[in-house]
Amino acid sequence: MAAPAGPRPGWSRRAQYSLFFGFLAAVIGLLVGIFMLVLSLVAPQTYSAVRGAALDVASPITGPLAEVGATAKGLVSGAGNYWDAANQNAKLKKERAELRRTAVRAAGVFQENKQLKAALGLREQSSAAIATGRIVGSSFESPRRFAIISVGRGDGVQVGMPVRTADGLVGRIIDAGHIASRVLLVSDRANTVPARILRTGAPVIATGRGDGTVDIRPLEVGRNPFRRGDIIVTSGTGGLYPPLVPIARVIRLDDDGARGMPLADPTQSSFAIVEKPFEPAALAAATEAEER
Amino acid sequence: MVRAALQPRGRLNRGPRKGVTVIPAISVVLMSCLAMLPVVTNRGGWPEFGFLMLVAWRLLRADAWPAWWAAPLGFVNDLLTGAPIGLSVALWTFVMLLMDLVDRRTQWRDYWIEWAVAAGLIILAETAEWKVAAWGGAPVPFKEMLPSIVVSVLAFPLFAHIASSLDRWRLGR
Repeated sequence: MAAPAGPRPGWSRRAQYSLFFGFLAAVIGLLVGIFMLVLSLVAPQTYSAVRGAALDVASPITGPLAEVGATAKGLVSGAGNYWDAANQNAKLKKERAELRRTAVRAAGVFQENKQLKAALGLREQSSAAIATGRIVGSSFESPRRFAIISVGRGDGVQVGMPVRTADGLVGRIIDAGHIASRVLLVSDRANTVPARILRTGAPVIATGRGDGTVDIRPLEVGRNPFRRGDIIVTSGTGGLYPPLVPIARVIRLDDDGARGMPLADPTQSSFAIVEKPFEPAALAAATEAEER
Repeated sequence: MVRAALQPRGRLNRGPRKGVTVIPAISVVLMSCLAMLPVVTNRGGWPEFGFLMLVAWRLLRADAWPAWWAAPLGFVNDLLTGAPIGLSVALWTFVMLLMDLVDRRTQWRDYWIEWAVAAGLIILAETAEWKVAAWGGAPVPFKEMLPSIVVSVLAFPLFAHIASSLDRWRLGR
């Protein structure tokens, strides 16, 4: 087959001109595109309104579809639970007994902690939930790791707020529409979370890798402080994320750091809680940084 | 094909459908809309549906739409996929201009050459996306992009098939 002929203008002057102006328009389109791209790289806040609007337009479609998907998934996993139910039941009972003992111990520690804090005169920071939404979508076509949740500015959500589930940290808001917002996940390469190891308290930095895991590096040079199975929690440094929110579990050790699996798996947990930034000043700083 | 030819079908009153000129563009927008599917995943690796549809149409026909339509189509894609705004605008328009050059340079076309050209464009697009992500503060290693490239290249024939079926349908053939 010969190559497609393409738009041949022939002898018509009108057709020739329209083809030429079409070419000019395409070149202009290219230049406009490059300009917009540069603008969105150096000043991402420029497009916040239009991006928010796009999220709002998409969310009435995404939301119901997500419900259907969750129902189907629930049916499958619900049926799976009946398999080997007796053994599972025995195991769960044992686990529950153990957890109850741990919970009693934790309650004691909590009480003691409260008294000690009161003695020191530390102000208790309450982490107030702003809104709770469903995780309805993600950026499955791109190297970036975003998720879309079904709450927006109408619910009080603002850019820069931390998002978590009951299991751990999900990420922070980067685009907020009126009824939906986009979350920068912990596993995104651009998301750096100041953290520490729960076991030792050693300060570390958790950075996403873009493939669903996080890279964890110690702040202090020395021997590798990680062990497999270590829980990494936020340290609260920087004031954006509240302290002691679980981030990841160490699954593999590297030369000088470790690889972690996020504990709040957005694919499993369908509800996410948007919280106030730990220190309100951090929100202003985050917005400023975005604008720069 | 033979069986279809044996069917008695009226040859009268058959012509282009209504809105024949915008059907290709609409199909690209619909494919971009697939980014709104409630797929929650921790890793990428899915093909870019909108881009593949655009490339499939452009390889099928040089006159599916005027070249500059790629800019607004790319803008819609950027909004729907959450890519940095301007990435698809610039990239898709560039692909249209590049394909004009390719059309001039290639004397002969068959399925393999079309697939190879599409693969080249896909690699170009994924590399651009990777580079822009790096500029945007997310320097992912390039090997993370490889699954996505392979999946897109393998998925391309499907999109070429959709484009050619749609083309036959819209022209009433």
